[in-house]
Amino acid sequence: MALLQAIVERARRFQGQKLVTKVYELYRTDNLAKIGMFLFGVYLLMAIFGPLLAPYDPLTINKDASDSVIRLSEPTANHWFGTTNYGRDIFSQWLIGARISLVVGSVAALFATTLGTVIGLTAAYYGGWVDDILMRFTDLVYGLPGLPFVIALVFILGSSLMNIILVIALIQWRITARVIRSEALSIKERPYIESAESIGASDARIIFLHILPNVLPLVILYMALTTAWSILMEASISFLGFAAPNQLSWGRMMYQVYNAGVIRDAWWWVLPPGLSIMLLVMSVFFIGRALEKVTNPDLRH
Amino acid sequence: MLEIENLNVRYETDQGEAVHAVDGVDLTLQPNETLGLVGESGCGKTTLAKSLIGLLGRNGEIVDGSIDFKGRDLTTLSKGELRKEIRWKEISMIPQNAMNGFDPVYTVGKQIVQVIRHHEEGVTKDEAWDRARELFEQLGLEEERVEDYPHQFSGGMAQRAMIALAISLNPTILLADEPTTALDVVIQDRILRRINELQNELNSSMILVTHDMSVVAETCDRIAVMYGGRIVECADTETILKNPKHPYTIGLRNAFPDITEESQELVSIPGAPPELVDPVDECRFAPRCPFAKTECWDGHPDATHFGDGHRAECFRAHEGEQLRAAGEDPETWTDMQDEKQASEVSHD
Amino acid sequence: MGLKEYVTRRVFHLIITYWAFVTTLFALFRLLPGDPTTLYLQSGMTPEERQRALERLGLDRPLYVQYFDYVTDLLTGDLGWSFRHKAEVYEVLATKFWNTIFLMGTALILAYIIGVLLGAILGWWRGTRREKTGLIGVLIARSSPEFWTGIVLLMVFVFWLNWFPSGRMRSIGMVVDGFWDKYLAWDFVYHMILPLTTAVLYYMTMPVLVMRSGMVNILTSDFIEIKKAEGLPEWTILYKHAARNSILPVVTIAAVTSGVAIGGSLVIETVFNWPGMGRAMVEAVSFNDYQLAMGAFFLMGSFVIMMNFVADLLYVYLDPRVTYGGEQ
Repeated sequence: MALLQAIVERARRFQGQKLVTKVYELYRTDNLAKIGMFLFGVYLLMAIFGPLLAPYDPLTINKDASDSVIRLSEPTANHWFGTTNYGRDIFSQWLIGARISLVVGSVAALFATTLGTVIGLTAAYYGGWVDDILMRFTDLVYGLPGLPFVIALVFILGSSLMNIILVIALIQWRITARVIRSEALSIKERPYIESAESIGASDARIIFLHILPNVLPLVILYMALTTAWSILMEASISFLGFAAPNQLSWGRMMYQVYNAGVIRDAWWWVLPPGLSIMLLVMSVFFIGRALEKVTNPDLRH
Repeated sequence: MLEIENLNVRYETDQGEAVHAVDGVDLTLQPNETLGLVGESGCGKTTLAKSLIGLLGRNGEIVDGSIDFKGRDLTTLSKGELRKEIRWKEISMIPQNAMNGFDPVYTVGKQIVQVIRHHEEGVTKDEAWDRARELFEQLGLEEERVEDYPHQFSGGMAQRAMIALAISLNPTILLADEPTTALDVVIQDRILRRINELQNELNSSMILVTHDMSVVAETCDRIAVMYGGRIVECADTETILKNPKHPYTIGLRNAFPDITEESQELVSIPGAPPELVDPVDECRFAPRCPFAKTECWDGHPDATHFGDGHRAECFRAHEGEQLRAAGEDPETWTDMQDEKQASEVSHD
Repeated sequence: MGLKEYVTRRVFHLIITYWAFVTTLFALFRLLPGDPTTLYLQSGMTPEERQRALERLGLDRPLYVQYFDYVTDLLTGDLGWSFRHKAEVYEVLATKFWNTIFLMGTALILAYIIGVLLGAILGWWRGTRREKTGLIGVLIARSSPEFWTGIVLLMVFVFWLNWFPSGRMRSIGMVVDGFWDKYLAWDFVYHMILPLTTAVLYYMTMPVLVMRSGMVNILTSDFIEIKKAEGLPEWTILYKHAARNSILPVVTIAAVTSGVAIGGSLVIETVFNWPGMGRAMVEAVSFNDYQLAMGAFFLMGSFVIMMNFVADLLYVYLDPRVTYGGEQ
């Protein structure tokens, strides 16, 4: 943990004040960033409190006074978003959905970005055959079509929440790896790295204490972008019907409404999950765009 | 032939501030004349040159003044008119870094042919390519190389190719923007001489923008010294070199080594050029001037005219002799710097 | 490095990548936790049936033999047996492959063309309100999962306006005569429009953004200023010079874009009931038809690798700095 602290301390020293003021300035001036942060905040709250606020259990089949199932009902006072073809409350399902999308998206992104950063840094720092092998491997993964690969793996490994997160991470790391490697390569050329090397600093020390803090802004940017891509991927996986049994995500809701054959009529069922996925991803992209401005050349020294 | 009157160009920065890059410039250019436009970076010389052809970018604007060129005011022309009639045809440009002046994905010949055919109607492709080859020959380049790509040329050759492009339409004025800064000294000399020759052959004028006094000393007929967006002194070359009246010119002249002198102490002008953001009612050079008196801070000096088109904007222009003598002594400048630092310290 | 050298290198690279891909596929199968044979075999087989099936499928032989067989099979086009369709995988996928290629291939081409043109203009308009609006539009397209765009289009153009059919590749009862007749018929195009639009809307976002950022970069170059000083018209500078230079990075992302396109086929074909490889793979996975699923995946991967190769060649054609070396 001392190492982690040292890294954070370094990062803070290098970027610290400038970064914070820049972020604040961006928040104030960039309208899109404001919208993004607001939307994301809403979804974050939904993810945290959703299950608590849901009026019904999302899986309960609801029956009315005469004990018949309330199928495909339009929005009513009792069911704000109406019900599914099985009589389940859509509003509750929608509230719950945020959590899965955000959790899968961000955890997969975290794994993917970490893996990608490690590979990128290692390849850049050691160069030579290490770089060659790592990059050939990355090329290979780049050559694989994303969604089919993920589906194939889910098929082989089975569909559980953890598997899906892992599998998404396994395809998303490639972009971060290339970007971070490229950035690290240019940082490696800088004079203070050379002087650190000549003093005899160990490899790990140079990588983690000198190079890493400088690529950190880029890592954070790509973590945001990867989160967006992962959320989209999870949505597609679920839409195709490969969600885990306990994965009540928005994508899964779309799968159910589509397969029930009622998209023509049940607009109350179709709109909430679909719109939410779009708005959530959009908000992450807006934040990412703002982050991109921050990590631009003016911040680099 | 070219008369610039009270030209004012303003840029708007990202922060919304207005930079007065060109702050009231008067300048004339005669046919067949080479005018050197000298000054430090940021003094506005490049902006001045670019404003002739309206190349000021999205955030630059001519806010006042006129540019009379062969009877027309260039500031009043529309973009379309500028494009069709003035740019390259009448006024062309030689940029600082020739290699970057060409589009890397087309051959050099193609780009020359392109500009010829765009401006001159009825010229066939073959004719244009022939012209391109002729131009190469004129510039001392092998004719076959018209079919090469820009990156295949060395620095000096690229510059020649660029000059070929610049003279391809036989322009009236050539704008050379630091044309030799990117080259080594030997090539620099050759290129400069060739430009001069060509200029004479073509009967065109040239405005040579540079920060290098030695370059203008060799090639220019007249020199205009720019500082803080204004022309602070203007005269023929010999006068500027031997008889400068403005303290800045004096300082500049002393900053460049003269091989013929036995031993010289190089003098540099301490301080940095002004930011040009706010209009000021004082002499722009006053903060860096070792000869500044109280009146220099009170208002802007008008131009004092000496004979032969020599003018200088300085309250003390008449004291040229003494100032020059004092200016040759490096201590004049360093003393001022020490004084300044002392006063700055005491201000804190 | 001359042109010939570059192409040879690329071909070599192609072969290596392909080999690595095939090996990865093979390894994937071996990755399985538990009994690998469960994917191959149907449930409810007796132990003897299983043993016989194992032998028939060659799963009891040593690994390297299996690998060798696997590779040779692939090279001869033997992709296995689909037990759900009761036919060779190759047969099942043959027509579906083309159905997907026609749809996604067209979508990719359109997406690139539109993407490049739009990206160039957005870059030229940088900082203006028009650009901001354009960017937001692009971001919205980028944020919508393909199925969402597809469903929205369905809701608007099919259910509400009734302009287009709700899916499938041709109308029921249509008779087609031969390969080209199938794909050049108006009926085909009519059915293709909505899925095509969905695909294009999603795929073009990457070229647009890359092109735009490339343009913004290039537009600050010296040579662009010279072109302006030459008095050339704006459109010429925009497209012949700025865009032409910015297009290179767009070609390099062809790899990822074609991968996304193929991936998109899974979703879009499902939404619109398009009989292609993507939908076939999804179905195969749902029904545990392992060989069909992997066969489809193999074809898709091959397509992407091919596209990368084509992109590499295209890159050389567009950038003379690669073919003709530096100063002699």
